[in-house]
Amino acid sequence: MNLSEVTERISRKLEAKGAQPDRQKIESRLRRLVEEFGVHVDEAERTVTADLAREHNVTGVGSTSTELRPIHEIVPGEWVTIEGKIVALTPPVSPSIAQTGIIADSSGAMRFVTWARANAPAMEYGHWYRLESAVVDEYKGAPNLKIHSGTTIARMEKDAPLLPSITPIAELKPGVGSVRAKFIQEWDASHDRMLQTGLLGDETGTIKFVIWKEEGAGSSGTSPAAPKEPLGKDKLELDAVYNIFYATVDEYNGRLSLALNTAMYIADEGDIEVGRTETEIRGALVHVAPGSGLIKRCPVEGCNRTLSRQNYCPVHEIQPEFRYDLRLKAVLDDGVRARNVLMQREVVEALTGITLEEAVQIAETNPLGMDEIFYRIRNTVLGRYYTCSGNEFGGRLLVNACTPIVFQPEELAALLNRAGGEPA
Amino acid sequence: MKPQSAFEREPARRVFASELRETRYQFKDGEDEKSPTYVILPTGIRSNRIFIAGTLTEKQRQGDQNIFYRGRVVDPTGTFFIMAGSYQPEAMQQLARIEPPAFVAVVGKPNLYTTPDGNCLVSVRVESVAVVDRETRDLWVLDTARETLDRLDAFGTTDDSRKAQEEYGTQPDVYKKIVYDALTQVQL
Repeated sequence: MNLSEVTERISRKLEAKGAQPDRQKIESRLRRLVEEFGVHVDEAERTVTADLAREHNVTGVGSTSTELRPIHEIVPGEWVTIEGKIVALTPPVSPSIAQTGIIADSSGAMRFVTWARANAPAMEYGHWYRLESAVVDEYKGAPNLKIHSGTTIARMEKDAPLLPSITPIAELKPGVGSVRAKFIQEWDASHDRMLQTGLLGDETGTIKFVIWKEEGAGSSGTSPAAPKEPLGKDKLELDAVYNIFYATVDEYNGRLSLALNTAMYIADEGDIEVGRTETEIRGALVHVAPGSGLIKRCPVEGCNRTLSRQNYCPVHEIQPEFRYDLRLKAVLDDGVRARNVLMQREVVEALTGITLEEAVQIAETNPLGMDEIFYRIRNTVLGRYYTCSGNEFGGRLLVNACTPIVFQPEELAALLNRAGGEPA
Repeated sequence: MKPQSAFEREPARRVFASELRETRYQFKDGEDEKSPTYVILPTGIRSNRIFIAGTLTEKQRQGDQNIFYRGRVVDPTGTFFIMAGSYQPEAMQQLARIEPPAFVAVVGKPNLYTTPDGNCLVSVRVESVAVVDRETRDLWVLDTARETLDRLDAFGTTDDSRKAQEEYGTQPDVYKKIVYDALTQVQL
């Protein structure tokens, strides 16, 4: 980006507010930041703009225009003016935040946050607002609209119905998303605050979802049917199809999940043929990760976490009444891609020939204890060729079946041909 | 700013001993101290991890203060030199337990050394090693043959293979022959 272009833009922003900035001064400051200090141009622009705004005693500088923008076009780093409807309000996670939620227009939706320091009027659920000079940045990989002290908020007397556009699950991105999906699998809640969790699927794929318990009544109203009596969210019913509007799409370790607390969901007619694409991979098992073998799990209902050697659960502390389990965390490598695989007890038992009961007995009588099982399993599977099939989930294959690859003479013949000779 | 992409484990390339023996070119991908080091294999792919299977024919313990084990693993085309030191205690102990001769599978990192008289040696720093059966060794020969042929098919079309051409002047036919000879040693 050309610095004089940036200079021009900054000075015009300031002039629009009635200040008379010195262009040379702007440019020299930019140059100093960019060339001497290696600051990124965007950042330098922001810094210089903010500095000069302070020097000239003007506020609200930054918005390149007051032109109205559709939400789905906005990218992080922009100052924008938008008109949208508050479709969700969520409890603020920190005292420095006054309000968080989701604002939507007909083009899309975005999470927003109002800083407590902004002294902004509280926005109400279900109403339309015009926001001028809000700034968009990125939070947890998703665009997020920040309402600060320079933002002007005006309530609009508009009540256009909004029909959110449905996104196929495979195409969801962090931020806000609406899906039409079937509730295909219910999982045990792994946390006290979880109301329900499981798997949603549509034709294109599956995604994990969570509904959190809402704390206290009256703190927020997220159910559009009854915005004034927030009695927490309803649970989903297994095998039913739902239209889910404005769920929050979170990303963690490259894997997406849906939080339905911001969403409104209504059961829908019909059924969905869920695209449960079972992946099959072949390769050599090149690594057995720690945490494989015989493990102890937390016995608390719905917890199931792995305990440490001292029987410590990160949530429920010491649990002497643990239960044993077998699993294998490994890497299957085909020479082109290395993939994490996770095998549960049944698969491990079949693969290694050691049952859980036997493993427990060995561990209790062997001086190496649980390590003995780890070594036995590792020595059985490491360096061997396997075909694993299962569901890929968050960069890891949850293995449903694992079979050793056997030597096929035809394959040898085919390769000999390919290498350019007569079959031996 | 680009979001940091999730860590991806480097795949273990399949390579015959006679190809690895010819490997001379090593480079670092990035400026960082922790950036991975790769070798370019003569058939034209970068690698910082390999998977080999063969017969462990010899094993020696060396060093007094810093104990390490050296071993020789033989495949149909030649010999791999493997080593495991006290920086890889797990691998070292695994290797210590194995009595040659035995079929083994080894996952490790290729390393280049230059001897004082200017010779270049390639050794494999073991990450893990396990005793396997003959069938696994044979499957590895097929697997390695297939991967090597795949690389030869793509030779000249990728950046890494152009680099290999520049560094080694690789003649694909020579490696096809190596693959063929290796395959003929697999017994039906």
